[in-house]
Order: sequence, then C-alpha cells, then structure tokens
Amino acid sequence: MLAAQIVVNALVLGCLYACIAIGFSLVWGVLNVINLMHGSFIVLGAYFAWSLYQGFHIAPWYALAIAAPLFFLFGYVIQRLILNRVITAPVLVTLTLTFGLDLILNNAMIYYFKADYRKLILTPPTGSVSIAGAVVPVDRLIATAAALALTGVLYLILRRLRVGRAIVAVRLDRDAAVLMGVDVNSIYAIAFGLGTALAGCAGVLMALIFPISPLTSTAYLGKAFVVCVLGGLGSVSGALAGGILLALIEGVGSAMIGPAHAITLSFMLLIAFLILRPQGLLGRKGFE
Amino acid sequence: MADALIVELAGLRAGYGEIQVLWGIDIAIPKGEITALIGSNGAGKTTLMRALSGLIPIESGSYLSEGVNLSQASAATILSRGIVHVPEGRRLFGAMNVQDNLLMGAYSRRVSSSELMRDLDRVYTTFPKLFERRNQASATLSGGEQQMCAIGRGLMSAPKLLMIDELSLGLSPLLVEQLVAALRTLNNEGVSILLVEQDVITALDLCHSAFVMDMGRIVRAGSGQSLLADPIIGEAYLGVLRD
Repeated sequence: MLAAQIVVNALVLGCLYACIAIGFSLVWGVLNVINLMHGSFIVLGAYFAWSLYQGFHIAPWYALAIAAPLFFLFGYVIQRLILNRVITAPVLVTLTLTFGLDLILNNAMIYYFKADYRKLILTPPTGSVSIAGAVVPVDRLIATAAALALTGVLYLILRRLRVGRAIVAVRLDRDAAVLMGVDVNSIYAIAFGLGTALAGCAGVLMALIFPISPLTSTAYLGKAFVVCVLGGLGSVSGALAGGILLALIEGVGSAMIGPAHAITLSFMLLIAFLILRPQGLLGRKGFE
Repeated sequence: MADALIVELAGLRAGYGEIQVLWGIDIAIPKGEITALIGSNGAGKTTLMRALSGLIPIESGSYLSEGVNLSQASAATILSRGIVHVPEGRRLFGAMNVQDNLLMGAYSRRVSSSELMRDLDRVYTTFPKLFERRNQASATLSGGEQQMCAIGRGLMSAPKLLMIDELSLGLSPLLVEQLVAALRTLNNEGVSILLVEQDVITALDLCHSAFVMDMGRIVRAGSGQSLLADPIIGEAYLGVLRD
C-alpha cells in the first residue's frame, strides 16, 4: 500500500522534475551556459499561473497556452540582448552573469509578490482518484500529463522540425553547423527561448502542487541539476529517467528517514553519479 | 572573363587572431574543373578553405566569385553562392542519422520538400551505401561511409564549387578510388571541385590544374600532369630522388 503510493507519487512528480530539467539541459547543452536563472523562471511561471487564477479564474492548464509564448519571448530577448554579449566567454563568465541576473529577477519577485508563501487553490477542488491502491489528486495527474506532453513537444521539435535539427546540429558541432549556413546566434536565442518557455510552463504546473515563493527557486534549480546529472545531459529520455529516479529517491527517503534528509540523500546520489557515472543513466552527445 | 572563375583570389591574407597564416594568396579557380591544392602539413591549405567558406575572417586582399565580392561575406552568404566546404575530418553530426545529416546540408536552401527529396535521391544514387544506412547514427558509419555522407551533405547544399579537405584521410586505397570516381561523375555533371589532398599522386592525377602551397603562399601552379613531371615537386612531395 505504502509502496504503491510511493511509486505512484514518484511517477507523478518525476515527470514534473523531467519537465523542469529538460529546459535547463537544452540551454546547457546547446549554449554551454549553466543558466542559474532557471529556478527563478520556474517560480515566475508559478506566480504567472497564480495571478491568472486569482485575477481571471483561468485554470493553470489553460494558462500554459499563454505562458509558453510569453516565456519564450522573454528568454529570446534576454539571450539576444544580454547573454549573447558573453556567449563565447568561458563558462565562469556566463555563470556569473546568470547568477547576477538571477539576483535581480529573484529580488524583483520578492519586491513585487513578497516573500510570503502563496498557494494556488482550485475551487471547486478536482478531487482524487485511486490508482493501484494509491490515491492521486486529479489536478496532480493533469499536471503530470501536461509535463509529459511538454516533454514530448520538445522531443518532436528537436526531431522533426528544421529548426530543431539546427539546434541539435549546433549542439553537436557548432562550426559544422555554421558551414551548413546556420545562424548560430539566432539558434542560441531560440534554444534559450525554448528553455525559458519550458521553465515557465513547469512553474505553471508546479503551482498546482507546491506553495509559491521566490525562495523556492534554488530548490528547483538544484533539482534541475540533479536530474541532469542522474539522467545524463542531452536526451529527453534521460531527463525522464533522471526525473523519475530523483522523485523515487525523495519518496523512499522521505518515508524511511524523513523529508528533511531526503534532499540530502538526493545530493549524495548526485555526488556518487559524478564520481562513478558522470555521463548519467542515458547521457549521450546528441539531443534526442 | 571574371564570370568564368568560380573563385578568384588576389593577395588574400588571413589567420587566427594574431597569427597570420596566409600571406597573400593569388588563385584563380575556373568553373567546371577539378582543382587540387597540395602542400605539406601546416602549409595553410585548411586555413585557406576556412577563409573561403567564411569560417575565419579575411584580413586583406580580394575574394571574388563569379565577379561578386565575398571578402566580407558571412558563411551563410558564401554558402548561398554555392561555395560549399566539406571540412577535414568530415565533421558529421554524429548522433544524428544519415538522412538528417544530409538534410542539414540543405538547411539554408528555401526549397520545396519535393525538390529536397529529389536531391536526397540524387545523393543516394551517387552513394547507395548511404541509402542503406539512412536511419543509422552517422557516428556508427565506417570512415569511407562517413566521407560519403560528408560529401553527400555538401551536395545537398547545391554546390557550384565543392571544396573537399582531405578526401582520402584514413581511407583504404579502394575506397579512395570509389570516391575519386564519384567526384569525376559529379564534375562531369558540372560541379567544380577544389580538392585538398595529402595523397599528391591521386590529386594530381584527378585534377585539371593544381596549386602548391608552402608556408602560407602559393609556390607553384600548373596542370596536374605538368606538376607530376616537375622534378622539384617529385623531390619534395613524392619522394623521388634526383639523379
């Protein structure tokens, strides 16, 4: 009974973790930028969903359709105007820049939304269903399905569209992509826009489950990191595997040693993976 | 007259930052011919190709193609003029399958999908091996198949001039023979070819005319046959001893 609940919870949460991580992994892989703003983008997405629900009673799953293009544009502009100036610099420079931008964005959110925890509470509640002896709230199930769908959309963009092929090509061999006539700067901006859109959408979905505060951004960033290392950079399936593994560890850890130590456990696993299997479970050089 | 030249360089200088590699290159590459560029390691052959395809900037000198000035042009513009670079070491997108690699070659062409399919067919007809392996990651191909894929990717860019850097590197003589035959066919179909090659005999045998580079300069030029007969070339590159 408990085991079933843990497994179902892990599957539900794991898909959301994957959704958090793929945008981060895409930006890391294509631009070679470790985007420390990713956590704040997620929180901003959560506030976006919360505001739309408070103000206009628009349910988060509808808010996705508005959030995706807005966040894409936001990321696109940040890359074009700011990140692009240092894109060829060593990774420490871009890391410092995104760290600084994150401070600005995060403090702006604290200023505007306050540091109080908010919760998006659907009225009327959606109720819950029972799966294999485990109880799952319907809104969580919807969030999971939406996270899976977003992951699938990214996969299809990268595999089927011309621009997706160019993104993969830039990731695999920048110079060769230039020889194919690819405008690398615009591909960088598109990839960063996609990463931001995925973060924003993940935030919208997170608003259904977790309390919202600017202070949670580092926790999201940490999860994105761990999932990328566990699953391996560069594959959508890796992010899924990493996300579910992380959620499973947190679930089992919470049940056995308490939720406070579950996060410690996941970071210990992160270190173990970095030492023993740095390419992750399914890491590969392409982005598939 | 200038229109009959697919590439015309005068006093071209280029390099990497502070390090100048090319010290005033004068070359004329006629349309419809196979031109070879030979020279020892570090002579600047690859750098010249990188400058011609816009991967590195040209510092000074002129670079014309069919009368159009390309000395400040971007890689994408140069590609759109039909000057296509098949880089040293193939530089395929390893995790992508063969067909996606070929499609990347056509990335910058705004053409209908039926035209794209026709061009794909043409590449598959030239290199039937690629058709067999079209769904396979290009990193899993043999060296020869990878070179075919790289040339095929170049063909998908609709080249007027195909610049191939190190055609035979790491390939068996039999494979090189097949590739050379394929290049001859392409040339007969009207594609001009600039070939950088370590295997001097193969290159000079195949080409109409050739240039010899050394220390970032063109030190000799002539028809392939005349350079093969040149005693200095024989001594420097073919290991022929003077009597």
